[in-house]
Amino acid sequence: MSDNYIFLMGKYEARVPKDRLYARSHMWFRAEGDAYRVGFTAFAVRLLQDVYFLDWTVEPGAVVTAKQEIGEVESSKAVSTLHAPYDGTLLRFNPELMKDPTAINVDNYGAGWLFDFDPKDALLLTAEEYIRHLEGTWDETQRQIKGQMHD
Amino acid sequence: MTTNRITVVLSQTRSKNPGKRRLEEEIATALLLEPGIEFAVTPNVYDLSPGDTGLLYLSSVKSHLVLLSWQYPRAAHWLLDRNGISGKQGVTHLKSLGEEDDEEAPDEIEEEHRGIGPAETLDRYIFCLDLRAYDDAGVYVDEIKRIAKEATVKLVPLTGLLTNSNQGASKPELLQHLSESEKKGAGPIVLGESSVNRWYPVIDYSRCTNCLECIDFCLFGVYGIDHRDRILVESQDNCKRGCPACSRVCPENAIIFPEHKTPAIAGAPGEGPGGLKIDLSKLFGAPSAIELAAMERDVELVKDGRAAVGLSVGIPLRQAGKAPAEKDDLDKLMDELDSLEL
Repeated sequence: MSDNYIFLMGKYEARVPKDRLYARSHMWFRAEGDAYRVGFTAFAVRLLQDVYFLDWTVEPGAVVTAKQEIGEVESSKAVSTLHAPYDGTLLRFNPELMKDPTAINVDNYGAGWLFDFDPKDALLLTAEEYIRHLEGTWDETQRQIKGQMHD
Repeated sequence: MTTNRITVVLSQTRSKNPGKRRLEEEIATALLLEPGIEFAVTPNVYDLSPGDTGLLYLSSVKSHLVLLSWQYPRAAHWLLDRNGISGKQGVTHLKSLGEEDDEEAPDEIEEEHRGIGPAETLDRYIFCLDLRAYDDAGVYVDEIKRIAKEATVKLVPLTGLLTNSNQGASKPELLQHLSESEKKGAGPIVLGESSVNRWYPVIDYSRCTNCLECIDFCLFGVYGIDHRDRILVESQDNCKRGCPACSRVCPENAIIFPEHKTPAIAGAPGEGPGGLKIDLSKLFGAPSAIELAAMERDVELVKDGRAAVGLSVGIPLRQAGKAPAEKDDLDKLMDELDSLEL
């Protein structure tokens, strides 16, 4: 039995480790003490491709509400704002990424973690639920991305 | 002949950033020695109030005008227009912040908008140069010299505006006095001091269609309509610092907050730099533009001790649509899509 689920994006195999939980906004959550360590899923990184720039617009310790803007990311393929996955407290940001964000591409499930987060009341998804979420939204996601190209 | 003289006004940064201050000083030093150029410095034009020396001076200038400021040229132009300082948009050879050298001239893109246009336009040109775009004072000085030279040979003569050669006659006495110090080489004229950091919207009437969605959406009484039923920013100081919500609601992207960090809101040309890249914000949990505008408005309502209204008041019925992308960009976009291997 493998430790990962695989989600196929075209020919690309996006890995979804079973040892952690997920948010619909394509972030993984792994319990660290009383809080969670959070990072981009392989699905998110595949869409971003090479990350050039990462910036946080809130301070460590900030109490945030779901969907609130917390930062921005620029990559070879995208520019995007980043948003709080749930209501909660942003405890700290990965200091290594401030110097160089490439760990997001090299090791998104490990050294490329984004921040530590203490959610107030989070309905996290299991790996299996996240895979189903990806399957359920993939057609729409592709339409959305292609829509931006065609508009 | 004074009609072809040009006036250059430098709108200072609010910031104490030594690099920015140095650039301002270098440009000032160079322009003070330049014949045929009237030069003055004002605090950030966005922060000025009617009656401030800087605005009085700008209003008195009827020649071609170059404004150097730390804002997008589109923001600067409509900021002047808002203060009754009008003119046709002059085409500069310089880029604004974030523009790539290989991009098309923004003036060609701007022409596609179908706004109601400015209330009135003085028959002269206003050139707005973005001081954030280059570190080298020489770039700006050379461009100003080019504009000054062009003004003497190519630009439309300013008929009827300057009927006699005594150009200084209409200016406030204070400014004549300051012009004397300029002649003595006493350093740049600084018109007034900046007292407040303001925050309010500026309307780009080349884009505004007078749909009035902003007046329905804003619950703080910032907007009003004039005697000709045109939208205007009536009570600018009712606006809530940091809140750009009405700009997000505007279907034409005609509402500019010159000091906002998002280029598209701060008046970047076109739809803003990075337009060719895909936006994954929605995927990463971003609210829609309308949801975001309502969230921002709620924060300000609650701060004022009023009840949050969410999406229940002043929300346009239309879908939040995006303006169509340039046809010329389609090839590039398709290449990007192909390389995504989706």
